[in-house]
Amino acid sequence: MLRGFGNILIKELKELSRDPKILIGIILVPVIIFPALGAILGYAQQTAIEEAREPGILILNNDDGNWSQALIAYLNFNATISVLENVSPREVVDQGLLAANNSTQFIEIPAGFSNNMTKHMSADQTTTAEVNVFSEFAIGGIFSNLGSAGVTSRVYSFNRIVAPDAVLTTQSTIIKGEIQPNIDPATLSGLLLSQSIALPITIMILLTYSMQIAATSVAMEKEEKTLETLLTLPVDRFAVLMGKLTSAAIVSGLGALAYMIGYSYMLGSVTMGIDTGVGIDLVALGLVPSVLGYALLGITLFVTLLSGLALAVIMSAFADDVRGATALVGYIYPLIFIPSLVLMYLDINTVPFALKAVLFAIPYSQPIIASKAIIAGDYLTVILGIVYVTAFTLIVMYLASRLFATEKILTAKLRLKRRGFKRGETDET
Amino acid sequence: MRKASVKLGMNLAVEAKELVKQFGNIRALNELSFDIKQGEIFGLIGPNGAGKTTTLRIVSTLILPTSGSMKVFGIDAVSQAAEVRKILSYLPEEAGAYPNLSGQEYLEFMAKFTAANPNEAVKEATEISGLGNRLKDRAKTYSKGMKRRLLVARALMTKPKLAVLDEPASGLDVLHAYYVRQIIKQYVKSHGVTVLLSSHNMLEVEYLCNRVALVNKGKIVVEGDPTELKSRYSSANLEEVFAKVIGYA
Repeated sequence: MLRGFGNILIKELKELSRDPKILIGIILVPVIIFPALGAILGYAQQTAIEEAREPGILILNNDDGNWSQALIAYLNFNATISVLENVSPREVVDQGLLAANNSTQFIEIPAGFSNNMTKHMSADQTTTAEVNVFSEFAIGGIFSNLGSAGVTSRVYSFNRIVAPDAVLTTQSTIIKGEIQPNIDPATLSGLLLSQSIALPITIMILLTYSMQIAATSVAMEKEEKTLETLLTLPVDRFAVLMGKLTSAAIVSGLGALAYMIGYSYMLGSVTMGIDTGVGIDLVALGLVPSVLGYALLGITLFVTLLSGLALAVIMSAFADDVRGATALVGYIYPLIFIPSLVLMYLDINTVPFALKAVLFAIPYSQPIIASKAIIAGDYLTVILGIVYVTAFTLIVMYLASRLFATEKILTAKLRLKRRGFKRGETDET
Repeated sequence: MRKASVKLGMNLAVEAKELVKQFGNIRALNELSFDIKQGEIFGLIGPNGAGKTTTLRIVSTLILPTSGSMKVFGIDAVSQAAEVRKILSYLPEEAGAYPNLSGQEYLEFMAKFTAANPNEAVKEATEISGLGNRLKDRAKTYSKGMKRRLLVARALMTKPKLAVLDEPASGLDVLHAYYVRQIIKQYVKSHGVTVLLSSHNMLEVEYLCNRVALVNKGKIVVEGDPTELKSRYSSANLEEVFAKVIGYA
């Protein structure tokens, strides 16, 4: 038996179980974040499956034969449908008939459908009938744009029942009010999948890393015992705070710039790949941000980083040392991780209002929301996000300036006690 | 009468009146009062937790008293803290320097806040610290003694009207401690700086201070010239005086 092993083990367990970092990493993450993530994933999958299973389908019937009625009857069997007659796809888009029918996709049964079907069924296998599926493209999460696949599969199953290869389906996508023929939204969504995943992950890394650095600014002064001296100098304490925040802002600016360069490079690579791969040009489709879009995303990133840094500086004032500060800042991380993960899987426009409000209220959601909104050309959402985060940042900075103006900057302390989380003051006498 | 009180105020470097400082349930200072004359080296001595550092922090405008008043050269340390900061220099007990700045850069950084002529102040500090070429090295490479010499030099380089020194030679080996004490004594003599210091080290206090106040449980229990106190309590040193005053011996 190893001599002293038990004693060492007990000491180590005591040390670890009393360390706030362990509390965050071992307890907070599994107990709060994973169930929350599970609920989000479950909801996202459920929503996607329901959308695919029970689509609201608008049918443009421009054929006056029996076969079109047979197809409509089949589709009506397991989906909610609305039928319009003698309307062109262009008119549906221009007159906003999709939204009016609470749908995101429609099927056009063109004139001659029944004739072609009759010929095919009369042993002329070379003649096929065609239906055209049009779907609105959603710049959303991983599970977006599954609906069109559901509609297509219904047409295929009609095909199997009637005769193999009798009906061919063409896919078109409606992007920003324009019909893009022969582009499958599911394929397009797959091509943009890298954005759905890479963006939130990169933003998570950028925010957490920057906040870790900022958290050390005041904590380092405390740890190195330079803060007391600094606060007795004839210098405005707000200047001390602003100096720290401005240096952090410069670092944030560089971070945002590096991010934007990397992001545009990534999109460029994706676009090039698409051109050579499946013949879809994202630039031509308007799915690559404009210069204004990039600028707005850069500003969103900058103000979000600044707000995170200001909050990190405030929190670090409540710690004695760098280790304590990084542990305290860890409490903000769920506010970064959860929205990032939610928006990775879901389109913010499709989530329930309460969840949408929560996501908009969390400042750290804004860069991800903005990154999708600029592709959709929805600049108003991005600008409102910038205004909101800027207001949030100003409030945080005001609180920080109040903290710096009083002795709390020296004496305030958040302490984790056995009986709970308690705020108290301490001072050497 | 009014003239006299104004004149008295001008002669006093520090006037602490009935200072009370409450931290939650703990009363760190309990109506503590003392005066320091200009050009004096005044020592606060007492055990850990007696209230020395709290007093020094109030004088230095770092924290506010719960009640009572503190004036530095007639300026209120609560309502005119910014003015007080212009004429004092504070050296905390566990002060440090920025580890990634060189000693020279640290002095330059500090001098820009406090000195009318920063270059002159840095030159002065270079002389006071006695660190020579080592000032070009980063502070993280300094020994504890070197760091303390740098910080004492920083505190004195601008010739402040009041230097507040918390345990100026605490934790230093005998040679570094001797150097620091010599510097303080010489500097006060040549520049007429008033010094308020705290210390556990009774020998240090006896060597440096014109007057001392013994602090216990947030109150001054006795105050006077070290030689006079030893004589009054028939004691060989201030340690014995303190023990007798608080009834420990």
